[in-house]
Amino acid sequence: MIHVRKLTKTYNDIQSGQFKALAGISFDAMPGQIYGLLGPNGAGKTTALRILSTVLKPTHGSAVVNGFNVNEQPEQVRRQIGFVSCNTAIYDRMTSWELVQYFGQLYGMPLDRLHTKMNALFDRFQMNEIRDVLCSKMSTGMKQKVSIVRAMIHNPPVLIFDEATSGLDILVAREVLKTVEQLRDQGKCIVFSSHIMSEVKRLCDRVAIMNRGVILAEGTPAHLAEKHQENDMEELFYQLISRSEAQLQAEKSAAVVTHNLTLPLAN
Amino acid sequence: MNWSTIKLIFRRELRDQLRDRRTLFTVAIMPMLLYPLMGMAMMQVAQFMRESPSRVWIVGEEKLPASPPLIVGGKFNPTFGSAESKLIELIGSEAGNGHFEALIQSATSSPGDSSSVEEILRQEMQKRKMDLAIFIPNKIQIPEGPDALEETVTGSSISPPATQVFVLADSAIDKSRIASERVNQILNQWSKEFSKETLVANDISASMIRGIVFTTGDVANKTGKQAAAWSKILPFIIMIWALTGAFYPAIDLCAGEKERGTFETLLSSPAARSEIALGKLLTVMTFSMATSFLNLLSMGVTGIFVLTKLGNGMGAGNALPIGIPPLTSIGWLLLALIPISALFSAVALAAAAFARSSKEGQYYLVPLLMISMPLMMIPMLPTAELDFGTSLIPVSGLMLLLRGLIEANYSDCLKFAAPVCAINLGCCWLAVRWVIHQFNSETVLFQASERFGIGAWLKHIMRERRSLPSLGSAILCGVVILVAKFFVGFAVTAPQNFSQFAFQTVIILVATIFIPSVMMALFLTRNPRKSLRLNGCKITMAAAAVLCAIFLNPAFTWLTGFIMHIYPPNGDILMLQEAVSKILGSAPGLWAILLVFALAPAVFEEIAFRGFILSGFQSLKGKWQPILLTSLMFGLAHGIIQQTIITFVVGMILGLIAVQTKSILPCILFHLTHNSLAVLLSQANRTVVEQSPVLRQYLYSTDGQNYQYATFPAILMSVVGVMLIVWFLQLDMKPSNRSAAYGSVPKLS
Repeated sequence: MIHVRKLTKTYNDIQSGQFKALAGISFDAMPGQIYGLLGPNGAGKTTALRILSTVLKPTHGSAVVNGFNVNEQPEQVRRQIGFVSCNTAIYDRMTSWELVQYFGQLYGMPLDRLHTKMNALFDRFQMNEIRDVLCSKMSTGMKQKVSIVRAMIHNPPVLIFDEATSGLDILVAREVLKTVEQLRDQGKCIVFSSHIMSEVKRLCDRVAIMNRGVILAEGTPAHLAEKHQENDMEELFYQLISRSEAQLQAEKSAAVVTHNLTLPLAN
Repeated sequence: MNWSTIKLIFRRELRDQLRDRRTLFTVAIMPMLLYPLMGMAMMQVAQFMRESPSRVWIVGEEKLPASPPLIVGGKFNPTFGSAESKLIELIGSEAGNGHFEALIQSATSSPGDSSSVEEILRQEMQKRKMDLAIFIPNKIQIPEGPDALEETVTGSSISPPATQVFVLADSAIDKSRIASERVNQILNQWSKEFSKETLVANDISASMIRGIVFTTGDVANKTGKQAAAWSKILPFIIMIWALTGAFYPAIDLCAGEKERGTFETLLSSPAARSEIALGKLLTVMTFSMATSFLNLLSMGVTGIFVLTKLGNGMGAGNALPIGIPPLTSIGWLLLALIPISALFSAVALAAAAFARSSKEGQYYLVPLLMISMPLMMIPMLPTAELDFGTSLIPVSGLMLLLRGLIEANYSDCLKFAAPVCAINLGCCWLAVRWVIHQFNSETVLFQASERFGIGAWLKHIMRERRSLPSLGSAILCGVVILVAKFFVGFAVTAPQNFSQFAFQTVIILVATIFIPSVMMALFLTRNPRKSLRLNGCKITMAAAAVLCAIFLNPAFTWLTGFIMHIYPPNGDILMLQEAVSKILGSAPGLWAILLVFALAPAVFEEIAFRGFILSGFQSLKGKWQPILLTSLMFGLAHGIIQQTIITFVVGMILGLIAVQTKSILPCILFHLTHNSLAVLLSQANRTVVEQSPVLRQYLYSTDGQNYQYATFPAILMSVVGVMLIVWFLQLDMKPSNRSAAYGSVPKLS
């Protein structure tokens, strides 16, 4: 369903020159599977998800979503995905009904089919009470519900959740996670980025742990635990990230030493 | 592009903005309330406003003649200006100002010394003790006798007349200037009356100095006068509100959406970036037009109401020249509102795309206002007229065209309608392209907040420089050249001889054109030689360039004549031409003139324009866009409008040669030949032409001084010149010639 190969994204940074947000990551996510992207802030999770949703273009490498290449067929890729971001990202001056209808129309859905689908989703997520309420008047949990319905309206085979539970209270967060599980059970391919270990352990069928644009470890949670001989997911995450940071630091120091040695000796 | 998606986005954005109270207030409520409130305030204030009296001090009042009396009862005689007299308050002896009197008495203790009194008056004026001072140094009396009579009638005198009345004002202070106008009005009338009494005293009729009686007429009808008044106000109102109305929606639809995080959601929907950009642009444009229209409507209704009320108060004889604007003018304004709103909305939206928040958006849009304001102010100048030059200025040209249309001056302004429309629609198209480009640019949409530092920025420039100049560095180079030429133009003094002239010309070329381009090539690119197009070329290309310049010279001469005909040079340019031809007369020889006018510009200008700037513009797609933009800059760098048009055309050919041959050598040769021929033609005289049988066939002169090409050889030469251009055009179509263009660069294999 999703095939990512050697995906690289480089930004031009005025301070440090070229900055690699992604340094050639590869992974595959299948239908009926939740693929977890784990990493600290700045690991490159959001960049990878933005490339998958065609908001950003990769510098090198390829990503294929449900048979469509993000570089060559971005519009078709966007029709295959539903994107839910961490900051709810809904229009404050629209009602939930108007907002979902607007996105349904952007996906080219005929109004009668769109309204049938909307009624079903509003029933399922118990949103009928807020259908005529402006989004600015809603709680964060309500907004996230609207955001999920908005992402599901065109019944996409792929759903991307970028830290979708961040900032939500435990009740709403659980509801979101339950929805994600239900979507997986419907055969959807789900990419789920988070830095909350309990969520990842509960939900994800496969996990990629990322740091500084590279995947440090990838596999099922059980496989990772066995390989690294650590059952606690949080501890495993901590060890991998710490080791990666220490290695990076050592490489930097070695580079400084090598550079100094090549300089002519001062008298 | 899917128009139903654009329509969908447009309708959503429109609804979104209409639900925003701040937008509604700015677009609809503010104009609806602002003008009526301003009108009310004006009428209220007018009731309480009264003109403050001017404080005038007269020293030497006792020396005034008894008849005609200037001062009556402590006030200026109302016979010489009743309105002015009422508004002047005399301070002095009658006002009982002992301080002044004491000062003057001490100063006038030595008779005949008026300078000390004047000095005291100056000091008191500077202390703002009064608005104006009048000093009468000597006694004034009606002159008698033939000499005095002659002096009175003709104003002439054998000896220079002594000052009779000295008026001291401070032109830096408004109150003093107003006092001066009022007092002068009275003194002039009093002086005339004094002259009349002088004649009467000498038994001569006062009617002898009546002079010529004239009356003035006015062919303008009431509608014409009203149109003239509105034609200056309405275009400005419509433009300024179209720009202001685009500001807030542009910021909210771009920066605001980024801030709220909804932009990413929209970008991940199936809508294409261009569809999103156009949907948003149409929304901004709608609000821009609505703001402008509502302001116009509100201002018009309030204006009519206020003017009617004021007009009634003034009576029929003093009716105001402004009334209801002609209906056709509203039609023209609404028609012009469409392209101008599109232009302002597109530029505002593109600029707002840089911002990451609404607050930052305001910082980006303020410079836009600063750039637009002068363009809107140019047509407000009293001397601004619609001609070919002004028709090429975006916004200003359109405002001048509107002015002409409102004044129903169709014959004069419609002949420039085509360039005005072309320029403004062209700007609209470029602005819309810019918006779409902004919405496709990741750097613009997702730029992270960075702390700016000059050091880091310079390092960044050095680190990121490419083999050839970027588009930005090409524009920067062009702008630096234009600005440097502008300032150097003020700094140079008029040369006295040819050596000074030659030195100045070459130094200006080196300092303003050559050095900036070479420095930029050295510091902003990794391959300065390639950036300046310092490649060799085949000898056939060099020869073709020289021949092309020779054969196209008659066509350029015709073009120059044609441009001078439709756009005659003004007095300043003619004086400049005359001064240059005088200086050229002192040149040591033709070689020196050719060195200054042909060789130096050919080398320095080609290195800058066809070298660095064209290389930078070539990062754009296609062949013609870079050539066109470089030629525009080349034309603008020549300053004078006639020269700008000619050099633009020459620049197009030079650009084509540079692109096709990938070398500036043929361009230098073309430029050198072109300029040399222009110099030789201007220096050709009867003796030289008559002695040469070849020249006799090609050149003719009607006045024996200015030579022109004969028609038939000129047509023949132009045809050959065009064929040579076609030959250059075909160069990149032949694979053999493509490698030949790099002939002198050895191939690594």
